[in-house]
Amino acid sequence: MFKIRTLIWLPIVLLTACTGEPVPSRSPQEVARAWAELTLDLSHHTPANSPTYASRALGYIGLTMYESIVPGHPSHRSVAEALQGLGPLPGVDPGQTYDWVLALNAGQAEILRAVYLQAADSSKQKVDKLESEVLAQYSASQPDTAVVARSVAFGKAVAKAIAAWAETDGGHRGYLRNFDKTFAREVFPGSWKPPLYAQSVSHNPLHPFWGKNRTFLLANAEIPVPRMIPFDSTPGSAYYKQYLKVYETEQALTLDQKEIAIWWGDDPGETFTPPGHSYYLATTVLKKINPDLIIWAETYARLGMAVADAFIKCWAWKYHYFSERPNTFIPQYIDPSWESFWPDPPFPAFPSGHAIQAAASAGVLTELFGEPFALTDSAHVGRPPDGLREVEFKARSFNSFWEIAEETARSRHFGGIHTEQDNEAGLEAGKVIASHINQLPWRAGSTAFIPNP
Amino acid sequence: MRPISIALTLAFCLLGSVLHAQQPDSTNKGFADITEAAGIQHQFQVYEGMFGGGICVFDLNNDGFEDLYLTGGMNEDQLYLNQGNGTFRNVFEGSGLEITRRFVTQGVAGADVNRDGWVDLFITTITAKDSGRIIPRARNLFFLNDGDGTFTDATEAFGLIPLYSFSTGPSFGDFNADGWPDLYVGNYFQEYMGELTSINDATIVGANQTAKSYLLLNEGGKAFRDVYTDYGMKHRGFGFGGLFTDFDNDGDLDLLVHHDFGYKATPSLLYRNDHPRERFTEVGKEFDMDLKINAMAAANGDINHDGMLDYFITNIRFNRFMVSQGPGKPYREELKERGMTFVTISWGANFADFDHDGELELFVANGDLNPNCTPMADFYFDQNPDGSFTDRAHLVGLNDYGIGRGTVVFDLENDGDLDILTINQAPVMPGYPVASTTRLFRNDLADGNWLQIVLKGKQSDLHGLGARIKVVAGGKTFLREIDGGGSTHMSQNSSIAHIGLGEAEIVDSLVITWVGGHEQVLLGQPVNTRLNVEESPHEERPVWPWILVGALGGLLAAGFAWKRAQKRRSDR
Repeated sequence: MFKIRTLIWLPIVLLTACTGEPVPSRSPQEVARAWAELTLDLSHHTPANSPTYASRALGYIGLTMYESIVPGHPSHRSVAEALQGLGPLPGVDPGQTYDWVLALNAGQAEILRAVYLQAADSSKQKVDKLESEVLAQYSASQPDTAVVARSVAFGKAVAKAIAAWAETDGGHRGYLRNFDKTFAREVFPGSWKPPLYAQSVSHNPLHPFWGKNRTFLLANAEIPVPRMIPFDSTPGSAYYKQYLKVYETEQALTLDQKEIAIWWGDDPGETFTPPGHSYYLATTVLKKINPDLIIWAETYARLGMAVADAFIKCWAWKYHYFSERPNTFIPQYIDPSWESFWPDPPFPAFPSGHAIQAAASAGVLTELFGEPFALTDSAHVGRPPDGLREVEFKARSFNSFWEIAEETARSRHFGGIHTEQDNEAGLEAGKVIASHINQLPWRAGSTAFIPNP
Repeated sequence: MRPISIALTLAFCLLGSVLHAQQPDSTNKGFADITEAAGIQHQFQVYEGMFGGGICVFDLNNDGFEDLYLTGGMNEDQLYLNQGNGTFRNVFEGSGLEITRRFVTQGVAGADVNRDGWVDLFITTITAKDSGRIIPRARNLFFLNDGDGTFTDATEAFGLIPLYSFSTGPSFGDFNADGWPDLYVGNYFQEYMGELTSINDATIVGANQTAKSYLLLNEGGKAFRDVYTDYGMKHRGFGFGGLFTDFDNDGDLDLLVHHDFGYKATPSLLYRNDHPRERFTEVGKEFDMDLKINAMAAANGDINHDGMLDYFITNIRFNRFMVSQGPGKPYREELKERGMTFVTISWGANFADFDHDGELELFVANGDLNPNCTPMADFYFDQNPDGSFTDRAHLVGLNDYGIGRGTVVFDLENDGDLDILTINQAPVMPGYPVASTTRLFRNDLADGNWLQIVLKGKQSDLHGLGARIKVVAGGKTFLREIDGGGSTHMSQNSSIAHIGLGEAEIVDSLVITWVGGHEQVLLGQPVNTRLNVEESPHEERPVWPWILVGALGGLLAAGFAWKRAQKRRSDR
């Protein structure tokens, strides 16, 4: 039986091995999309990735995509000189022809290798494979090999310049310091404590110094610290009420709320992380309207930098307050046996990282694509149901980007890991960050140039 | 199909020293902390907030008094010789075990690996103290007991050198039933063998992912071979080791595997041993044992006398009490209905009949996750007539607030009842309210009848590790399984079976199921004694087909040789 089956399959297998699987023919937009999807594949599958590190990667990868093609698109301008300490990027030779898809392709491969140094070999092979596929396809239709070489060299040069700049931002190789042992944890009323029901193996908090990293925009670095209600364990106090609300919500959690909590969990060990989810939604939007290549790149650049700055600011404030999670306050002051629906992330609470990055994302997407905007999020469709909580992953539909941001924020409240003030502060700050990103001189004739000091 | 020999047993029954049960003492019914008086001075020191440690109860010198090995983590390990008078002497120095000083030790288990009559020690490590490695890993340590109070490091000789791992709980169990004790070793993070020069960012971040554990087959007492994949194991998890146990009463050792972070990585697993096929089949889901918790360890015991083992699995916050519902049926979680829902962080746990009332109690060691240092008392769950449990730790003097980890039960003075040793970690944060040091609690509580059984394997493992003893007395059935390590956190309990009999004056029957399925029955045994039972001879698996094949083959070969010889002769 076995032998017969082998004989039947053998020629098929051999044939496939000889011809290889068919290389997809990709439109320029499909090339951009393929790189965005591969970026999220690396976000998901690179060991020891974190929302912080993933957000940083998206910032540099998105910016590189934009800067590697912007000279070929008169409607748009480079934003490099408006970013903190980047300065002008390598230029193009005005008299020469470039293939911008080849430049994009070379630049994405280069920057992915640079920011995901720690990726597994299997991931690195995927980068090589996509790079060579696109190179093969687009150089086949380009009779002049000098154009191919020039375009590839330009894309690489842009990526290298951005990667070199990235090395000095404080987050370079940050995955080696995820749970920095040099951080001395303070203990005071209301301070963060290592969780018992935890997402992470370490008892040290994630990236305690991430807030000191250089932001893309100076304007974002200068956003003042949001105000937080001071600790007060007295029942009825404003602080107490924040936690009581989490407790009461959890006690009456509906199936819909559970589905929301699970959907936006985006655990870095199992998914492409929360900022990856935003990058994914950008692709969903772009697929729907399929604009010119430069709009694809601009969208990824705006979104990547917005979520990257959002996480830097969020982490600065998280470690400024070093505030406790509901899992610390509620068992001590409300119900000793209480446990959150979703396990605790390994870092302080205020403000919510989910909320701030979701608002930053909504801010740039609304500016680019307007509102209302009907959108279905299928990010986790097909995942097996969450076995522990017996909740399924069901696609979610929205009518605007702000609806998405608000649901992302609320999901952390439903999960029992954030108070409403954590979410509100996150949403507010995210909006501000997005507005700064939107004010960059993206378009020809833009006036809102934010000068470098 | 199982060979059963009912007779032939009395001849091998030797009556141990008959010891008196504890005198009932209404003024002091509890446990006495005799740590200092007994000469125990120990505290486990964690490495970067990590895990440990463990205790192995074993008889170092075969004098009938059980001795102790304690891991120290960043502190020195200890080897305590039981002096027979309720005190211990640390004989670590000069024992040949000093090389453990170079490692961050974790768990420990003992078995007579080379069947020379002396119990050997397997000690897990997570890294070397002085390595300064970027990826902290080290080999585990295996020592052969030389029988004169010293040990020989046999790590390399047994082929364990290439396994540079971050290991936690070891347990012995003869899963292929050949009489040579095999091992399962839990690994928490991935092993890393490479040299420093080959480290790059990818290897560093890859190393802190979930790990495969080790299933080490004992090859004739000469070497261990990792047969993990050969036996069908595929899992990677944050491993805390496993427990060899015959959950389905079919005479071979199955394996219950504990994993940390089961709710986001790999849950607890239950591997059914398909012996004599060389394979384990994972049936966790089928039996509702795929617990998505931070499983630290499992204690086993038949709490309701139904002849099926039940498992108490320790966890962060709420433990799990998995009670058998009968053969082939999924386990039922009964923590709540048995009155044991206390929020804590539990590690080692031991079922035993401490008070000799004929029902099992449960001791549970609790302790915060260093450097978190919230004190939490240990539990002593006393079983009520309705099968529920009440924590009476504070009433019996067991509410120790140290940062508890591995715990064991054994009979310190050979007085018939079980005493408790529980390891405590040094608090990382200053200002801990009690001295969090290892504690020895003498049982002054027991007042009923009892029986101890020492198994002496002949074809089976020499100490009967994994064997089961079913006792019928006073109208009740009792079931015990000899712990090969893992029936508590990273530790190994006494290999002497202990049964509290209440008022029963005689043991009606005693059925021993040796690993592999051979059953041996003793009838009408006395109480309040230590019974030595030697494995009765029984037939091996039939060998005659192989003899036949061999003989036929031999004949053919001989014939062939003869023909050739003839040919040569005629060629000449």
